[in-house]
Amino acid sequence: MADVVQVVGTDDPVRPLFTAAGELKADARNGLGLDAAALRDLYQKMILIRRADQEALNLQRQGELGLWGQYLGQEAIHVGAVAALEANDWIFPSYREFGMAMCRGVDPAEMLTWFRGLSHGPWDPRKYAFAPLAVPVATQVPHAVGFAMGSRLRGSDDVVLGTFGDGATSKGDWHEAMNFAGVFKAPVILLCQNNHWAISVPLAKQTAGSIAERAPGYGFPGIRIDGNDVLGVFAAVRAAAERARRGDGPYLIEAMTYRMGAHTSSDDPTRYRLDSELQTWSAKDPIARYRSWLQGQGHLDDAAAAAIDRAAETMAEQMRSRLRAAVPAPAGEAIFDRVYERPPGPFIEEREEFEASLEGT
Amino acid sequence: MADQTFRLPDLGEGLTEAQLVTWRVQEGGHVEVNEPLCDVETAKAVVVIPSPWVGTIQKLHARPGESVAVGSALVTIAAEGAPAAVEPRPAEGVEATPSTLVGYGAGAGPQAGSRRRARVAPSAQQAGGDVRAAPFVRQLAKEKGVDLARLTGSGPDGRITRADVEAAASGATAPTPAAATTSTDGERRISVVGIRKAIARQMVRSVSTIPQFTEFAVFDATNLLAARQRQKQSGRSLTPLPYFIVALVKAVRAFPLMNSSWDEARDEIVVKQAINLGIAVNTSQGLLVPVLRGADQLDLSAIADQSARLIEGARAGTLKPGEMSGGTITITNVGASGPVETGTPIISPPECCVVAFGAIKPRPMVIDGEVVARSGAWISISVDHRIVDGALATEFLTALVGELEHLHA
Repeated sequence: MADVVQVVGTDDPVRPLFTAAGELKADARNGLGLDAAALRDLYQKMILIRRADQEALNLQRQGELGLWGQYLGQEAIHVGAVAALEANDWIFPSYREFGMAMCRGVDPAEMLTWFRGLSHGPWDPRKYAFAPLAVPVATQVPHAVGFAMGSRLRGSDDVVLGTFGDGATSKGDWHEAMNFAGVFKAPVILLCQNNHWAISVPLAKQTAGSIAERAPGYGFPGIRIDGNDVLGVFAAVRAAAERARRGDGPYLIEAMTYRMGAHTSSDDPTRYRLDSELQTWSAKDPIARYRSWLQGQGHLDDAAAAAIDRAAETMAEQMRSRLRAAVPAPAGEAIFDRVYERPPGPFIEEREEFEASLEGT
Repeated sequence: MADQTFRLPDLGEGLTEAQLVTWRVQEGGHVEVNEPLCDVETAKAVVVIPSPWVGTIQKLHARPGESVAVGSALVTIAAEGAPAAVEPRPAEGVEATPSTLVGYGAGAGPQAGSRRRARVAPSAQQAGGDVRAAPFVRQLAKEKGVDLARLTGSGPDGRITRADVEAAASGATAPTPAAATTSTDGERRISVVGIRKAIARQMVRSVSTIPQFTEFAVFDATNLLAARQRQKQSGRSLTPLPYFIVALVKAVRAFPLMNSSWDEARDEIVVKQAINLGIAVNTSQGLLVPVLRGADQLDLSAIADQSARLIEGARAGTLKPGEMSGGTITITNVGASGPVETGTPIISPPECCVVAFGAIKPRPMVIDGEVVARSGAWISISVDHRIVDGALATEFLTALVGELEHLHA
């Protein structure tokens, strides 16, 4: 993890918090201003979103969801990043940021209706300042940058977080967004969750260089950090957000993590990666690491940990029962709704033919 | 308590079937919500299915190795605290199939809010996708109970049209049974799924793309048996297979072209570095070929251990897909039982060579002009003639026989 090239005249409040290896320095860790309750809350959120992830996978295996993309192993980024933002700061996610949505208060059972194919957008993006999930790779990055530019034009001091994976950084959309962000000094934090695998493409075949070090080429700073340290992610995103709020422009954070599960429920990672790699990263599990740190600090006793685990079980049971009671499947012809404001002729004919095909059934 | 039947969901975006690998529960046993029920293998992955309900297992509807169609019953559970389920009443001879891919797995019975009637299950031919018909026509056929596989399409390229379906429907008085397997003249039709289908595809690919020829030889197994005997005295009984492998690896090292493949896209021969040896294993599910990786890096004892583990795993159905792919040359044993001496093995594409060993048994051989009884066995090799000519195949087979006759491990 080499140092990034310093951009002349650019103030970088993030880098001094980290060692050259991307680890949060001890004094920075102690200077976050989080009390014991806030520190425990980060832990609880990681436990809850991991349990939700497991329950969603179970529900997919039971035929209740069409698809599920696990974020197992990436919880520190989901929780740390959201905690570092203000409630009005918009988040533009890819399709794996269910945990982030939960941290924003989106109801997990409602959110699952999307993966069940019942809804195109189960939550109100404005209510949670959380954009719809973006399945096409990297399309959310220009959205995030554009939204941030809009925020600046409106004179708002809201900042925007756009998050994406390592694979997205190979897409043209990503480069266009980076360039706009730099040129227009958009108040945006570009958070790469580098989980080492883009489906079956390993990082080494994704890029020959460092993702973080590309930022100076676009005129703003970037840093590679340990993405499995929730406090490190919190510290980096908060410092980058404060910088953006001051009007100093974008920041690229490359958070190193590992996709411990499959790409999605349709994927079998044992076909393309070694068990030994998973073992290596299991030893760096973000939740186990943080729990042991919290316990060492005297902020988490066994009773508190057990209560959090029970809360997670209750949440999982509610997800299950509420999903099954969720909105009934929409009528087939609903696929024609909300495509055009004023549907063209052939489209209307298609709809009529489809509806005719349902007659008498 | 109410019996609830859990049907196999579509586990991977558009799959039509899965093969049951193993049950993790048994009939009469208790199961908790999310406790693993079974492992199934789809075309995409091996996955564990967790129980949707708490209760007692009443019936397991499939056996390990069996293919289960998406939407078919997998397990019936007397679920605790579940409302009495009203079983859908399918039309006579017709199995009701849920109409959506998602949501019928658990808890979504006939009250699930669909305003449609139960559908006629698609026939195996339809599921196999050989029929040409637009989705709209397929839908119509399902509703009218017309089996598309039995129609001749009047549209372009034999496409079945709406008119074809309507004509058939007006003539048909009863829906066609879902999986018709016996016709009036007594023929049986067996739907081909899972491993059988994979074997069929691989074999068609082999004989339709690889010009292959076979050569035969008999070798004298006296030294091999003596080596086995010495091994036995030192405390370990081995089958002949590890010895065959040791000899084969040595011969392949001398003839690297045997461990290669033809790159059809570029008309190039790709010579492989490592020798990854496919071992053909007859299992209850059909022929499987686990792969002994880096066989050239292993000694006799490691070869014996690893090949035994792979063969056992293949028979038990516990191997991962990664352990059954990536072979560079294959070995098969045709003499395991019965009177068969040898055969003409078919190459496993994209490999160049497959080697078949027969049974070692006493047979007449001429030594110094005298007919004597010696233990021996047949070997046959089939090779890709694009890569290897007869002369080279003969040299290789000669080298292999030489290695086998001079074993002294």
